[in-house]
Amino acid sequence: MKNLLRIFNIFIFFTLPIYAENLYENLNPQQLKRLDYLAENIRCPKCSYGNINSSNAPISKDLKQEIASLIKEGYSNDEIFKFMEERYGNYVILKTDINENKTLFLIPLIVLLISILLVTTYTIKRSK
Amino acid sequence: MVTRYFLVLILALLVMMLSIFSLSLVQTDEPQTIKTQEGKKLIISEQIYDLDGNPIPLKSLTKGKVLLNVWASWCITCLVEHPFLKSITESKNVKLIGINYKDQNFNATSYLQKNGDPYEFSIFDLSGDISLKLGVTGAPETFLVIDGEIISHRIGEVNLEVWNEKFAPYF
Repeated sequence: MKNLLRIFNIFIFFTLPIYAENLYENLNPQQLKRLDYLAENIRCPKCSYGNINSSNAPISKDLKQEIASLIKEGYSNDEIFKFMEERYGNYVILKTDINENKTLFLIPLIVLLISILLVTTYTIKRSK
Repeated sequence: MVTRYFLVLILALLVMMLSIFSLSLVQTDEPQTIKTQEGKKLIISEQIYDLDGNPIPLKSLTKGKVLLNVWASWCITCLVEHPFLKSITESKNVKLIGINYKDQNFNATSYLQKNGDPYEFSIFDLSGDISLKLGVTGAPETFLVIDGEIISHRIGEVNLEVWNEKFAPYF
């Protein structure tokens, strides 16, 4: 009985590759990593929120496939972001450009600095 | 003395943040949405076929005024706008060409048989490749193409209101 079960398990094991799905098989691991990064940072144009990776819309699958082929063609990440922005507008770029939003990034830093100064001066004063 | 100075500073910062916040509430700009394809050229690089498998010359799309409508039999909003498209082709001189988006040929033809066929012909786009290069995000979408240039682009349903705003001035 135990042996039978073992054989059965091995049989099940060999059916596993059926579920494996490698859509982007002509990309090397490094390129796949880039694909994942890009798909994570480009918004699905059909959805109100959510990136390409998280979306089930047909367009998202198509776009991921297109990004894969662009990577294969030798486009850099920035060029692919630009390509998508050109077609769908800035709306689809989820990665925030620091140079274009300096105040957005600086204000929290300034607040942090001020509060650190405040706390240190306060504690120094109290210890005296 | 120093703490008071910082308190004033923090208060000023708070006031500034509050004022920026209230200003953003007053602004009634439309929320940023996806860019339409208006002003771009119609790019179709591959050979296209209609639902019966006949090859279509690209000239039939790039010559004169053409209304391109992306539709599919699985798309519910397409069914909603279908009667309006029919009424437009009946009442006005509109060259309406369909793009059958990610659809089975059989389902598409039976859809047209059941609901009527306002299209001169429909481009068969099973993979969605042609549509993707056009900048289509899904069905339904409608393009007004004049001499190969996209003049108007509507993402979503076309009804009388949208028609009057985006397409009517050109007909």
